[in-house]
Amino acid sequence: MTTHYNQPVRRKAEVIVPQNILKAKVGYGGLSEAILDKAEDLIKYNTVDFAPLAELYLQSLLKAIHDAKGAIGSSVSDHSFIEILHPTMQLKANGGMFHYPLVTEVAHKLLQFIEVIDRIDDDAIEIMLAFHTTIRAVVLGRVEGGGGRHGEILLAELEKACFRYFEKQGSLH
Amino acid sequence: MAYKFHNISVLIVEDNQPMISLLKSVLNTFGIKNIYTSQNGKDAFELFCEVKPDLIITDWMMKPMDGITFSRLVRTSSRSPNKFTPIILMTGYSQKHRVFQARDAGVTEFLVKPFKARDLYKRIAQIIERPRKFIRSEDFFGPDRRRKSDTSYNGVMRRETDEKEAVEFIEMRPANAKTTEPKQERVKLSSFLNRAS
Repeated sequence: MTTHYNQPVRRKAEVIVPQNILKAKVGYGGLSEAILDKAEDLIKYNTVDFAPLAELYLQSLLKAIHDAKGAIGSSVSDHSFIEILHPTMQLKANGGMFHYPLVTEVAHKLLQFIEVIDRIDDDAIEIMLAFHTTIRAVVLGRVEGGGGRHGEILLAELEKACFRYFEKQGSLH
Repeated sequence: MAYKFHNISVLIVEDNQPMISLLKSVLNTFGIKNIYTSQNGKDAFELFCEVKPDLIITDWMMKPMDGITFSRLVRTSSRSPNKFTPIILMTGYSQKHRVFQARDAGVTEFLVKPFKARDLYKRIAQIIERPRKFIRSEDFFGPDRRRKSDTSYNGVMRRETDEKEAVEFIEMRPANAKTTEPKQERVKLSSFLNRAS
């Protein structure tokens, strides 16, 4: 039996086993459940006020959406997407860390939308603004937690709007 | 006996100050006291070269240099004092293609925000107890990108999560988010997203 179909191997990979410095330093035993519970509580009961931080990200998001809107028909560039993506990602990542999991949920839906649209047009702008308004309402209303039934309805409505957008796009092509 | 975490140093790279404070508190509770912080990849690399931390925990999206570019520098720069330093990447991204992107940059473990303290601890314990081999090829240097299940252990699985954890690297989701993957099959904007990250 031949290997590599009798062809010379072009990409050789070297396997290296680095010294496990961390293991040598920390030893054995792991951490106790009591310590992990204490660390868990630090996150669960942290007193960081997310609202001012969220407001910064929301302002940044709104500016990025408006900039993209201003560029429709001329030069909506990759840069526009990046500027929208960054604050959206921050809202998604940090909302849930600081007692606003609904912000994480809504931002996650927006992120999914941004990741699959192939251009920014007026309809896409409207959708993104709806997401922005929703997140702002959640933060201003201090809706901590998942928002219960209202939260579910909000998410469902935003998702429906996204589906309607893609249905319309499909019918245009 | 418990891990002697006071013997190690950690570099946190994160542009969000409340997040840095929270992360430091959690690591302090673990027993890690020697913690350095930086707010972007560029400054972080300078600090990394200076303090040579045992572990790096970095965010993805930062300006002027993001966590992915920083990770590549750690792995490939001639100035890097330790190219094998374990890197945990924290991010709001949870899609598989993002995990693969991070993995290709030389990231060791992937931690989706929002996360729980146990999620972070699991990643650190994974690095300590099951360190990855490194691969050097023409176009890649970094931890082995294949997560292999440990077949050397034939005993009883003691925890319900044992099997699940083996594939966690590519299947992690935010700790308290009910996420669904996009159903649309539109053209993905991979070019700009790659640049964005």
